[in-house]
Amino acid sequence: MSGANAPVASVWWRSDLARSLATSPVALISALLACGLTIAALGADVLAPVNVFDPRQANIADARLPPGATGLFGDSYPLGTDPQGRDMLSAMLYGLRTSLLVGLSAVFVAAAIGVALGLICGYFGGLLDAVVMRVADVFLSFPPILIALLIDGVARTVLDRADHARIALPVVVIAIAASYWVQYARTVRTLTMIERKKDYVLAARVTGVGAGRILFTHILPNTLSPVLVIATVNLALAILTEATLSFLGVGIPPTQPSLGSLIRIGNEFLFSGDWWIAIFPGALLFVYALTVNLFGDWLRQALNPRLDR
Amino acid sequence: MVFMLIRAGQTAGVLLAAALVSFLLFRFVGDPVNNIVGQGASVEERAATREALGLNDPAIVQFSRFVGRAVQGEFGVSYRFSQPVADLIGQRLPATAELTLAAMLVALGLGVPLGMWTAIKPRGVLTQTLLTLSLIGVALPTFLIGIVLILVFSVWLGWLPAFGRGAVTNLGWWTTGLLTTSGLRALILPALTLGLFQMTLIMRMVRSEMLEILRSDHIRFSRARGLRRPALIYRHAFRNALTPLVTIVGLQFGNVFAFSIVVETVFQWPGLGLLVIQAIQFADVPLLAAYLLLVALTFALINLAVDLVNAVIDPRIRQEAL
Amino acid sequence: MSPALSVNGLTVTLGRHQAAPKVIDDLSFDVGPGEILGMVGESGAGKSLTGQAILGLLDPPLHMAGGRIEVAGERIDGLSETAMRSWRGRRIGAVFQDPMTSLNPLLTIGRQLTETIRTHLPMNAASARERAIRLLSEVGVPAPEERMGAYPHMLSGGMRQRVVLALAFACDPMLVIADEPTTALDVSIQAQIVGLLRRMCRERGASVMLITHDMGVIAECADRVAVLYGGRLAEIGPADTLLREPAHPYTQGLMASIPDMRRRVDMLPQIPGSMPRVGGAPSGCAFHPRCSRATARCRAERPDLVGHGSCLAACWMPGDPSGFRPEATHAG
Repeated sequence: MSGANAPVASVWWRSDLARSLATSPVALISALLACGLTIAALGADVLAPVNVFDPRQANIADARLPPGATGLFGDSYPLGTDPQGRDMLSAMLYGLRTSLLVGLSAVFVAAAIGVALGLICGYFGGLLDAVVMRVADVFLSFPPILIALLIDGVARTVLDRADHARIALPVVVIAIAASYWVQYARTVRTLTMIERKKDYVLAARVTGVGAGRILFTHILPNTLSPVLVIATVNLALAILTEATLSFLGVGIPPTQPSLGSLIRIGNEFLFSGDWWIAIFPGALLFVYALTVNLFGDWLRQALNPRLDR
Repeated sequence: MVFMLIRAGQTAGVLLAAALVSFLLFRFVGDPVNNIVGQGASVEERAATREALGLNDPAIVQFSRFVGRAVQGEFGVSYRFSQPVADLIGQRLPATAELTLAAMLVALGLGVPLGMWTAIKPRGVLTQTLLTLSLIGVALPTFLIGIVLILVFSVWLGWLPAFGRGAVTNLGWWTTGLLTTSGLRALILPALTLGLFQMTLIMRMVRSEMLEILRSDHIRFSRARGLRRPALIYRHAFRNALTPLVTIVGLQFGNVFAFSIVVETVFQWPGLGLLVIQAIQFADVPLLAAYLLLVALTFALINLAVDLVNAVIDPRIRQEAL
Repeated sequence: MSPALSVNGLTVTLGRHQAAPKVIDDLSFDVGPGEILGMVGESGAGKSLTGQAILGLLDPPLHMAGGRIEVAGERIDGLSETAMRSWRGRRIGAVFQDPMTSLNPLLTIGRQLTETIRTHLPMNAASARERAIRLLSEVGVPAPEERMGAYPHMLSGGMRQRVVLALAFACDPMLVIADEPTTALDVSIQAQIVGLLRRMCRERGASVMLITHDMGVIAECADRVAVLYGGRLAEIGPADTLLREPAHPYTQGLMASIPDMRRRVDMLPQIPGSMPRVGGAPSGCAFHPRCSRATARCRAERPDLVGHGSCLAACWMPGDPSGFRPEATHAG
């Protein structure tokens, strides 16, 4: 998302948008929190007290310590430890990083596929358009989680276990992207069909400018702000979907902790009274999804008041 | 009539497409021969099995055979459970059906009245609270709701069970948990978890529909006719909100079906969802293929039901349909 | 005998606060028993809002900030919603602009008629049904008994407006507020509906407040005419006098440029300029920026209604059309 954001930022990051953000406390706090958490997650290597990928840094004697406890060797665990004696805070930071990575990639892939198909279908129409839109209808009528599950299931069947574990991350990204591309395609298609009829596009076509050039230099920029709005809301959804898949044990393998798989582990220890193992990652997931959502809501209203119901 | 034929055609098309995906999955994903005779079988054994399974026939013949068997409920034997897939699904279906219906009941029973309330009293404290909560609720994944409910009501308070279906009664063709206290108690938390998210959706939908209809001309005219408030709200406004509501609820049924997988995992509810998760983890292709077809069939039936109910409610649709 | 409708000093504001802009400003008029009062003016002049205020159907932020509304001598403004309900539909009937959207699409017209009747009159289902059928035949719906089971979408626009009229007259109201009853209809149907409205009113002795911007409709059936401009009364008087010799320059503007009374609404003349926006009323006479006769006095002081022949006009120099020439261009 941030990648798509940067080149066009100077075009519509106008001062009134910034001012609107400043006058909306909910959006501002959400944006700051979301940014803060994103930075913390991306900087997990530096910020986390313990590297959870390094087994030597986990101490099995310190397993399942409650929040605020001090370990056998004097390590302090502000949020407690997990069943393998890993510091929860560190695990959560690394977990959020994985979730974020999957979420951002999925949104990026979904947007890339959706925008490309939307542009092509909207511009050229015809049989291709009809076929793609029917396929989109089918995708839309099935719940995203089911599509993601099915794709993951097929991947597991085709690949053997070791191969699957190695490419589990991209599989999850593709599974999630497959269930969210439709929205981009439909929106961009509609906008393209509107834009295509405008005089400047006709003029460009008459003067012999190629279709590809028209699509990229003229039409694409006009579709970016709705795409950005969809992407923001989708980021929250994608992260929640990833967490759900990992919780079900079909997403990211347990060797690579994501928030979902942390919660899955925590769920098993719920009845032992070790609530923090599930609840802390859960709360982090919730707060992150909520802030991204609230920011997305604000963005939608700020960029296009007409879109507001 | 034409309308109905077109809808029936569409439904058949979707089912056939699902059957095709299901067949491709069944036939080409993973090697059925390997799964039957094992990796170490000889070339002759393999060839014999291939011939016996009809895998040498043209694809179209195989597909027809697949569809023909599917119609009779034959999906082969599960790799993981070594039982006919149809039997497995038959055993698990009642649990999922009861959970799904209970969740929809929760969602409709709470969502519709709350949505009406928030539309009729748009500035009330309860309205504002509910709207804020539903905004926050969007960021709460279903499985997390389940975990928190288990933590509070099972672990801390010890009021309700968190696992399984409780005691079930076998009716021969159906096992139900609705006839025993423990079965009903076991249903509460999973149904709440599954229904809560749908409830907020339905509430918001009812609210926006009602707000729009209450602003419409015919409601203004009904007010100008001096109709009493209950007649206005229920006979006129709510009735008009029903068509979109039924459509959305139909669509949401699909989501409930999907999320029952999640809820069944959280609560170890012995339904289809749990079965499917295992099927995915163990690449149990026959089971997956059958589940896919079952989902498509359920969706098709729900769409049909939505069309019929809407035709009953709205005379304009009825006229189109006949 | 007290007038069927008496409006006194009606003021409607946009918002409830002290400085809220006035949409209707100190409006007073009467409708006599059995009389048809035509209310004309450009859109935004406050015609429809007057009707809504009388029916007690102003939606927030609109707010009735002052004045008195009496129907048959009984004050009805400020009544509770419940008390008002026994007036609406019972003693005050209403006809709205668009028959396509006025009726509930999901209920048969028979049901909508009987529910109105049984809400207000102590009748059993059978006699309510009988009354409904009689009403339908009165408004000229053919085969009324069969039509009882019809849904609105099965009827044409003209038929639906007849049904709406039947609903308005269902409980023998003493006053009917008809808000642009012909605007949404085909020209050929318009005359029928206007004729029907007049006939129903005459036969049943009901008074009608007919809101329209179609001078043709006014000429055809109004007994008296009230001309609204910017939420105030510009002129009021008997239809024949007012239409023949309009005193207010605004009315003159409306009249002078109508080539044919029976032409459609979108032929209204273009009086230069446009009506002031809500809250943007100029000083003095609200019409002065558009009036070719405006003097320093018009710009400074607001004229009150003064008698001019049998009419009342809010103008400092009413009656004299010389020097006022509306542009010959037409809108639309």
